[in-house]
Amino acid sequence: MKQKIIYLDYAATTPVDPRVAEKMCQCLTCEGMFANPASAHAPGRAARGAVERARSQVAALVGAEAGEIIFTSGATESDNLAIKGVAHFYQQKGRHLITSRIEHKAVLDTCKQLERDGFQVTWLKPDVDGLIQPSMVEQALRPDTVLVSIMHVNNEIGTINDIAAIGRITRAKGVYLHVDAAQSAGKLPIDLKDLHVDLMSFSGHKLYGPKGIGALYVRSQPRVQLDPLMHVGGHEHGLRSGTLATHQIVGMGEAFELARQELANEAPQLSALRDELWRALHAAIPEAVVNGHPTQRVCGILNVAFPGIEGESLLFACGALAVSSGSACTSADREPSFVLRALGRDDQLAGSSIRFSIGRFTTAAEVEAAVRIVGEEYHRLLDLAPAG
Amino acid sequence: MFSDTDYSTTVWSHFRAPKNAGEFHAGTPGVLSGTAGTRKHGRVVAFHLQVMADGRVADCRYRVYGCPATIALCSLTSEILKGGPLAAAAAYSVVALAEQLGLPAEKRAAAITIEDAIRNAAGRYNSHLRSTQASTEFTREL
Repeated sequence: MKQKIIYLDYAATTPVDPRVAEKMCQCLTCEGMFANPASAHAPGRAARGAVERARSQVAALVGAEAGEIIFTSGATESDNLAIKGVAHFYQQKGRHLITSRIEHKAVLDTCKQLERDGFQVTWLKPDVDGLIQPSMVEQALRPDTVLVSIMHVNNEIGTINDIAAIGRITRAKGVYLHVDAAQSAGKLPIDLKDLHVDLMSFSGHKLYGPKGIGALYVRSQPRVQLDPLMHVGGHEHGLRSGTLATHQIVGMGEAFELARQELANEAPQLSALRDELWRALHAAIPEAVVNGHPTQRVCGILNVAFPGIEGESLLFACGALAVSSGSACTSADREPSFVLRALGRDDQLAGSSIRFSIGRFTTAAEVEAAVRIVGEEYHRLLDLAPAG
Repeated sequence: MFSDTDYSTTVWSHFRAPKNAGEFHAGTPGVLSGTAGTRKHGRVVAFHLQVMADGRVADCRYRVYGCPATIALCSLTSEILKGGPLAAAAAYSVVALAEQLGLPAEKRAAAITIEDAIRNAAGRYNSHLRSTQASTEFTREL
């Protein structure tokens, strides 16, 4: 009989909400809004209407204007467009960027590429709780700094950076601020009218929407200019060319609309479930420790280090759980999570850390079962290990 | 990160239910112990061989900290070494076993660590023999 898997990896991706899937299906077949949204005929106009409604839905979740939302293929492309777009457009003004060592790979690798292209990048080290303090950004600013890119919520440990305070600093210095909000949209209230954020990246599939769709918020007042990544067609204000994927966009719009309606109820429920997960885990394994700030964290993510055992074994032993590990035991030289290493965790603790991420469809019974499995397997592996 | 499909059924079953894990009771005669590896490098193996008077390995125990391949290889190796001569145990190629099991080449280091632990244990044979010649119990067993 096939083993029932308990899915606790919502930070990696979420299932599409059935209500979202239903809306998407209405954009695929002859009877639906399948036409090219750029076409002038009636079916095209209908599709365009659906796209613009979705744009408004995405904007509404974060307090933006619809015209400030550019659809992309996902947060990775949004990060690329924001960072390369600003860096290239404003390179006459300066060629220095600031980011942190614990950003998503989409930001890290984009900044590394810019370094290879001759830009200078300051890589901020987080504090022991995994936070980038506003003062760190302030101290790193230079006269030639054009962009700061700091994530809102860290995807591995769930810690929340104070982007309001960071934005006040960057705005005062006339430096653009990009925020990757893939892990925070729909989980934390975001009102871009009150934040000095110039660019913000979103993902559809982290919020019960489809994969392959994301968005970039580009502030209109004061206006941010970007060099596009692609140069053909002129779609999305010339910033992201290519025929719009109506079904994906409609799916993302519906997902963001649902998140807007349910955020106030869903976030406290998820926080309570996450707290119960930690309470029960800690009771079963008193040696376990939380990675990242104990309270300044998003509702759905709990990253725990399990001392004394090897990470890959724990992950495999807990095969009934779909969770993420902080390590990759692929060779004699293990590769612990760069995020956990940046926090100062040693190789063993980083390697034996597990990220549990819960979401809309997680039940209390699943959390209880997960704790039982982890507890049993942890003690089994600990009993196998030599002392020391 | 490996997926469970990277491991054969044999490896998987020995990881899930390792055989001969643990240690011998204190005072068990003829036990030779050797360790290898470090936690920093992701694996530690402590192998214990119970050697009889005729130089045969009567039984094995081990403790292991490491990835699923390391645990499964310890379990399988302990089964293979039991009943054989100590010299064969010392010469046994866990690397070849890993290859037979289809383990990825990256897991070679796990096999080498186990070989090192076994050879460290076997290497104590002569010194134990010399140091315990006066011990009636130990020499009788050996």
